[in-house]
Amino acid sequence: MLNQIFALTWKELKIFFKDLGAVALIFLQPFMFIVVMSTAMSGMFRAPEDQPIPILVVNEDAGQVAAAVVRQLGETAGFTVETTWEGQPLDLARAEALIVAGKRNLVLHFPADFSAALENALDAADVATTTVRLIADPATPGQVIAPIQGTVQGLIERNALTALAPRGLDYLFQAIAPDTPRERQQQFRDRAGLALADGFLGGAEGRLPVALERAAPSAMPIRQFPDTYQQNVPGYTIYGIFWIVSALAGAVLVERRDGTFRRLLAAPLPRGVMLFGKLAPYYLINLAQLAVMFGASSLLFGMKLGDSPAGLIVVCLAAAAAATGLGVLVAGLARTEAQIGGLTTLLLLTVSALGGCFVPRFTMPEWLRTAGLITPHAWALDAFQDLFVRGYGLAEVLPKVGVLGLFALAFFAIGVWRFRFE
Amino acid sequence: MSDPILIADDLHKSYGRIQAVRGVSLTIARGELFGLLGPNGAGKTTLISLLTGLIPPTQGRIVVAGRDLAHAAQAVKARVGLVPQDLALYPTLSARDNLAFFGRIYGLTGRRLRERVEAVLQIVGLADRADDAIQTYSGGMKRRINLAAGLLHEPEVLFLDEPTVGVDPQSRNAIFESVAALNRAGMTVIYTTHYMEEAERLCQRVAIMDGGRIIALDTPAALIRSLGEGLIRVGLPAGHLEQVAGQIGRVAAVKQVTRRDGLLHIEALRPQEALLELLDLTNRLDVRITSLEILEANLETVFLHLTGKRLRD
Repeated sequence: MLNQIFALTWKELKIFFKDLGAVALIFLQPFMFIVVMSTAMSGMFRAPEDQPIPILVVNEDAGQVAAAVVRQLGETAGFTVETTWEGQPLDLARAEALIVAGKRNLVLHFPADFSAALENALDAADVATTTVRLIADPATPGQVIAPIQGTVQGLIERNALTALAPRGLDYLFQAIAPDTPRERQQQFRDRAGLALADGFLGGAEGRLPVALERAAPSAMPIRQFPDTYQQNVPGYTIYGIFWIVSALAGAVLVERRDGTFRRLLAAPLPRGVMLFGKLAPYYLINLAQLAVMFGASSLLFGMKLGDSPAGLIVVCLAAAAAATGLGVLVAGLARTEAQIGGLTTLLLLTVSALGGCFVPRFTMPEWLRTAGLITPHAWALDAFQDLFVRGYGLAEVLPKVGVLGLFALAFFAIGVWRFRFE
Repeated sequence: MSDPILIADDLHKSYGRIQAVRGVSLTIARGELFGLLGPNGAGKTTLISLLTGLIPPTQGRIVVAGRDLAHAAQAVKARVGLVPQDLALYPTLSARDNLAFFGRIYGLTGRRLRERVEAVLQIVGLADRADDAIQTYSGGMKRRINLAAGLLHEPEVLFLDEPTVGVDPQSRNAIFESVAALNRAGMTVIYTTHYMEEAERLCQRVAIMDGGRIIALDTPAALIRSLGEGLIRVGLPAGHLEQVAGQIGRVAAVKQVTRRDGLLHIEALRPQEALLELLDLTNRLDVRITSLEILEANLETVFLHLTGKRLRD
């Protein structure tokens, strides 16, 4: 029996690796996804100062408040302020034209009445609103705009407060301590101004009393935050290994069509052994895919593979089992090449997307996140992220490995039940 | 019959409402070269599938080399070889790789495997092309490797399902020579075909199959003799069939007359004499002959006589 299984496996591997198209699909396609998407998204995972976002600034205001905001924005890590273009000062029309031409995505525009509106705010009976506009290409995702908007909002509020503070203090003294000597009022005003300008949220000098930093939960023992490869490689690798469904189901169909299936059925070869011998080589190919994807990403891009080799091996074994099990299921259901193509495309793209291989599941609506749990992809991806990104080990990933094992068993059982031997 | 190697008893196989095999019983002796003759769709391949254990019968029993196929399938399959009608080879692999793979499936390993691969390549005369991919072979060469794969494990019983379909004459003769040589060496061969001349040339006994049933079984000579020396098929107006049949049946040169599908089948001991008597009779009775066919006595004519159909319609 072992000799038969080895013969079936070796034969299948020889046939598979003679088909360069299949080899390219299984190994090259997911790897290209990894390279392109990881590189494209690398900016999202670097420290802000490594890839600052350029913002065009058109400041039509003659006062000091807008100038302060622009200066502080330029000093903030993660932003590059541009007030000229090709040596010429920017105006609004030119800045908007640069967005239309696709050369920049963002313009920050201060109107001419910005500072005046702030100064008059305390005097006027009706407060007139002045509008600072963050002009963006409509195609820019909201997730990119929102943090920029928040930063600019914070700087505007701080500087507005700083600008208004002396006037506020004047009112305060007039209202509650009109007899305070002018020199004392001025000292108080200067001290307050320094405190506001030098910053609760940073400034040019002085020790910061408050700092904001990114952290992970204490239960997740990571030493450094993940890079673009640790975030993207698992997703595209899982997407890639499920392409084995197409290869396996197609191989079964070809075996039927070419008549070799009939010859094997006439041989002293138990049906279970025949199926297992058909499955085994594709399981090995899956494991090779995982080794190549993770190995190449580690060697070429320095991707960290976590601190638990045992956990990594176990998750790989379980993920590959789920993928090849799904191949048996499709082989049992499909009768023609067209059916295999249709089922495979439907399953691989839809389920991969639902499982979070392309878009992180946390960005999805709640109901879609829950729906994703019916996919083996979501469990495999989560397990790999436990190892690579969250610093977990074998014990923490075992429950997810168990779920993947159940997927594999269910797929295999249904596939065998539906498999047509006659 | 000496030492039966295969016994099939009342075999039936149905696919829903379609009865592919209906009540087939036969016994094949060890060392016999047995033919299964019939047109496409007669049930030959289904019967072969039953006898080789590919599919279970709906009803009936099969015993091969003393073992009941239903209870000892793996043991029976180890003793049986199948050369399927469709080429059952992996086209991107070489002949040697194909044979080595199938040999391993039958339990051959190491030196024994290598010896058998070389031996069957010699039998089919393709040792010099053994390392070329099957997809580079001609149709005839593929058929020969298809045969070789069925011989690797030296089966006691070899089933050949239409082994010469689409094959050039040279390869066809090579296959005939191989089959005959294997049989002379003691292998029991069951050979299905829809070519009468193959059955007549090779087989010691022939079962004629149609509509899932065996309609005749005997040596080719006996089957042909049953027709006399020839068959005359004559078409007459419906109202005159009985009259002519009754009178021509009394002619000495006629063995037997039967009606089939609106024609008279006249089995003639002396075809020429029988024909002259028929023409004289129809002239006397003023009966118009609507069709007339004179057929040499062979298996094809036997099939036509028994079924009203031709082997290669």
